[in-house]
Amino acid sequence: MEQLDRVFGALADPTRRAILARVAGSEATVNQLVAQFDLSQPTISKHLKVLGEAGLVSRGRDAQFRPVRLNAPALAGAAQWLGNYLGFFEESFDRLDALVKDLKRKERRHVRNPPRE
Amino acid sequence: MSATPRASESTADREVTITRVYDCPARLLFEAWSRPEHLMKWFGPVGWPLTLCELDFRKGGRFRFAMTGPSGAQNTPFGGEYLEIVPNRRIVFDNAFEEPGAEKMVMTITFDEKDGKTTMTWHTLFASVAMKASHVGMGFEQGVGSGLDQLADVAAGMRR
Repeated sequence: MEQLDRVFGALADPTRRAILARVAGSEATVNQLVAQFDLSQPTISKHLKVLGEAGLVSRGRDAQFRPVRLNAPALAGAAQWLGNYLGFFEESFDRLDALVKDLKRKERRHVRNPPRE
Repeated sequence: MSATPRASESTADREVTITRVYDCPARLLFEAWSRPEHLMKWFGPVGWPLTLCELDFRKGGRFRFAMTGPSGAQNTPFGGEYLEIVPNRRIVFDNAFEEPGAEKMVMTITFDEKDGKTTMTWHTLFASVAMKASHVGMGFEQGVGSGLDQLADVAAGMRR
C-alpha cells in the first residue's frame, strides 16, 4: 500500500505525468527533459526523484547521461489497482442483480407449489 | 468510534454516493446483505472472491471479510461493526482494513422500494478527504478525471 501511495502521490502532479508520458515513448536524459519542459534542471531533478522513489522511472547505467526511462510494471500495477477499485461497485452491483433475480425466482417457485422447473 | 473526521473538512468532501435500481423488492436486497452465503456470491469484483466472510448480523455485531485476488493470495482482511440495522430499509456499518493506523469509513446502505423496484443507495463517508482520495482517486463521481485519463492512456500504451 505504501508503494501505491507513492505512485499516486507522484501521479498527482501534471508535470510529473507529462514527464512520465514523455519517457514512456523513449528514454530521455535530464538535459533533454530540461529543454523540452522549459523548467530548471533542479526542478526536473526534483520531479525525477519523486518518480524514482515511486518506482515509476529508472535511470540507465550510462555514467555520463543516465537516461531516464519508464519502469512499466509500477505503472501497470497502479492501473490495475485502479481498475479493480473502480470496477468494484459496478461488478458487485451486477453480481447482486444476478443474485436477487435468482432469489426472486426461487421465491416464486416456492409460492407456486409444486415447482415448475 | 475512532473515525477521526478533520474538523476543517466538510462531510460533502468526504463522501461518495452510488445508487442502482433493482427489479426486486427491498427485502431480497436486505437478505443479500445479511447472509454469508449470499454475500460470497456478489460482494466484490469478478476475480476477487470473498474467501473470508464472517458476520454477526445485528446491531453491535461485527463482520470480517477478505478477498483473494488472481494471484491466489488473500488480501488484508477488513471489517467493522453494524451500527444500525433496520430490516428492509437500512444498514449502517463502519469498515476499516486490519492495518495499523487504518482509518474507518462509515457505509450506509438504504433500500427504497417503489412499485416492486428498489433503489439501493450506497453511501460512504470517509474519515478524511485524503482517505477518500486514496480510495476513489480523482474524479470518481464525475466519471474519470483528466489525470486518470492520462494514466489510462499511458497504461494502454504499455500493453503490448
